[in-house]
Amino acid sequence: MNKRLLNLLLVVVMLAVWVPTALAAPPVQEKGQDYIVVADDWLSKLADKYLGNPFDYPAIVEYTNKKHAEDASYAKITNPDLIEVGWKIYIPSAEEAAAIAPAPPPAAVTLVFGDWHLTEPHWEKALKEAFEIFEAKHPNIHIELDYVSYADKETKYTTEIEAGVGPDVFHLHGYSLKSFIEKGYLYDITPFIEAEAGVYGGDFLTPWYPQTLELMQKDGRYYAMPGDFMSMVLFYNKNLFTEAGLDPTKPPTTWDEFVDYAKKLTRDRDGDGQTDTWGFGTVGAIDPGFELRFTPILFSHGGAYLTPDNKCAALNSAEAKEAFKFFVELVTVHGVVPPGVTAQNPGTVRQQMANEQIAMLLGSGWTPPIVDKNNPDLKAFEVLEAAPVPVKAGLKPEFSTTAWISAWMINRNTKHPKEAWELVKFITSKEMEQKWFDDANVLSSRRDVSGGLEAQGVKGYDKLLNDKFAKVIAAELAHAKFVPQLKEWPQIIEAVNAAAQEGFTGAKSPEKALEDAYNRINEILSVYRAAGETCPAF
Amino acid sequence: MRRPPPRFFVSHQELEGYAFVLPSLLMLFLILGFPMAIAVLNSFTPLWSEVKTFTLENYVKLARDDLFWNALLITFYFVGSTVLLHLVVGLAVAVALNAQIRAHQFLRVMAILPWTVPDVISGLIWRFMYNPTSGIINDLLHKTGITNAYIEWLAHPKLALPSVIFSDVWRGYPFVMIILLAGLQAIPREFYEAARVDGASPLQEFRYITIPLLQRMIIVAVALDTIWQFRRFGLVYNMTLGGPGHATEILSLYIYKQYFKYFNFEYASAMAVVLAIIMLVISLPYVRMMVRRV
Repeated sequence: MNKRLLNLLLVVVMLAVWVPTALAAPPVQEKGQDYIVVADDWLSKLADKYLGNPFDYPAIVEYTNKKHAEDASYAKITNPDLIEVGWKIYIPSAEEAAAIAPAPPPAAVTLVFGDWHLTEPHWEKALKEAFEIFEAKHPNIHIELDYVSYADKETKYTTEIEAGVGPDVFHLHGYSLKSFIEKGYLYDITPFIEAEAGVYGGDFLTPWYPQTLELMQKDGRYYAMPGDFMSMVLFYNKNLFTEAGLDPTKPPTTWDEFVDYAKKLTRDRDGDGQTDTWGFGTVGAIDPGFELRFTPILFSHGGAYLTPDNKCAALNSAEAKEAFKFFVELVTVHGVVPPGVTAQNPGTVRQQMANEQIAMLLGSGWTPPIVDKNNPDLKAFEVLEAAPVPVKAGLKPEFSTTAWISAWMINRNTKHPKEAWELVKFITSKEMEQKWFDDANVLSSRRDVSGGLEAQGVKGYDKLLNDKFAKVIAAELAHAKFVPQLKEWPQIIEAVNAAAQEGFTGAKSPEKALEDAYNRINEILSVYRAAGETCPAF
Repeated sequence: MRRPPPRFFVSHQELEGYAFVLPSLLMLFLILGFPMAIAVLNSFTPLWSEVKTFTLENYVKLARDDLFWNALLITFYFVGSTVLLHLVVGLAVAVALNAQIRAHQFLRVMAILPWTVPDVISGLIWRFMYNPTSGIINDLLHKTGITNAYIEWLAHPKLALPSVIFSDVWRGYPFVMIILLAGLQAIPREFYEAARVDGASPLQEFRYITIPLLQRMIIVAVALDTIWQFRRFGLVYNMTLGGPGHATEILSLYIYKQYFKYFNFEYASAMAVVLAIIMLVISLPYVRMMVRRV
């Protein structure tokens, strides 16, 4: 054979190895048979050969011993590890063997759990503790953690789910929930919910705030369970208030007051001639956190993003224009926000709070613990105070703030929907939601935790309702409205986000920036309008 | 010369060649061809549709999307200036490092260092350095008394793109430099000696010996750099995410947003196809050169 042919052969062999070869199933015998032991036999090998499973060897032992009782020519096996050449044994049929096999224990299942909370140590610890409790209750289920950053979670989940994989259970915020439902990424959990027992005289879903449940559905089917639920409120540093000659027990209640306060709080504290503390910090980067910081300002001015039928933008209203101008001018006219606002994301704003670079911010339950961790010397739990979001003077809008909501969902690709539901049910249970508050100061979408079921004689979690921050946040839930829920929302809010940046940087006037965003949003919403239907001019 | 008769059978030799490239062809198809085909198919499918019917609406929408044109313009601006500056800086550093000076090995290593940093990391580092209140750049300007203002490098619409380009020049010039340095070292010293005997000035040496002999290397470096710069993503993603407004929104970033943030898969695919075509056209001279060489 020449060398060339040898090479060719080599390649062919390599290719052959590549091609996945299906393993031929071992022939399983249909009838039992007598068998004389020969050298090099052992029971599990015989079980593998004749029964297709080496772990079925106890069946051979049992049947042989049974035969031995009737007919002494069969061997008696006392030790399955020891058989002698020449013994006559009986190998049962696969069916006979199955009949005596013990009921298999519930198959071990590994659930992959994805959550951005895992990347924050104090949240990770709380979740790990919860899973220990869960695994103790469900010994056959093992939870594997899948870490993902807040900013990358949609990218990661989308890629994975499109590829037919991904975590079994994962956590998302309201921002992208609608898109995930519309894309068909989520498992329909309606049958599980219907099979669960009711509580408090109602069905299984009674404990949850109705507005949170609404977000979890499409066409009457449920695709997620509500998780965290927190209204946005104003946080302020009472020491900085006192230093600036303001009364820390009287937070601003109107936006006019707020600007006055913020100007007084914007100061040069170390006397080097440079401003080093500002009145207010906010998110100006292109970031999912922008929505929660701008929406309260829009709503408390009486404005809205879209018309009620979601067919047109509503940013052309006098209220919305005023709100947007107010927001932009905090930076451009009043100068009460630290420089570089367009690069600030929620994390860096909290860091500014921790460094006493700012005196006020819009935040919620997660704010005090993170600020505290960023700078323990500040003593955030003591120094920070919470108050409702200010409103426009003379206005009493029904909704003056917005709320953060997160949801738990099951991947449509999961191979273990039942177990995944057990996990979702567990993590949204009253006990776990209370623990989540203890560990992370996060409020729940369950009314038997955050309050709101008093009429039915159900009280909320004492510790939560007596907490100095949580009680303000819980009370504001009644004034909190969600942003419009449609799959185009991420694109819509980003248009507003970019407009704010254009306003902050002076690239456009606030009016022009908002007008461009208005037109862009109407273009995005054109799919919902019939031919000939138009939106009013800005 | 007689033409060889047409053959209908592949020779042993050819068969062997095909067999050897087959595995890599398969791999190429799997990791490149398949996703590419899906992207092209997607781009001709209606937005958010479950059924795959043929439509051109994504491309029509593209033509009317001012953000797309904005992204395209910024991409050309970004690619044009970074490639040009990579070349200028890369050539200057290469010529300097080609001189027989002490410690030239050490200096070469130092000059290559920025290239060894992943672009995501350099994006993060530059963002910290550009931070108006706590970044080192403003701090230096304040300490040296040049200015007392908090210059918003990445937040000012006129400054953001130049700031990003500056960072990218730092990140990207070493690649061009390495290629040109290799080219410089391949030029025989005799040419320069002969020129010197004839009384040529250093400038003339550079103009009439270095540049012509380096031409091929320059084309290779510029072509590869251009292709890579069109795909640049991590740096801008981490520095500005396209902001402020849309001032630094290069096409790769806009595609990313359309796909992963707005979930408009089909629309994003159409954009990706356009970007691929642009890159193909731009890389044609390079491909032709490589083919001619064989």
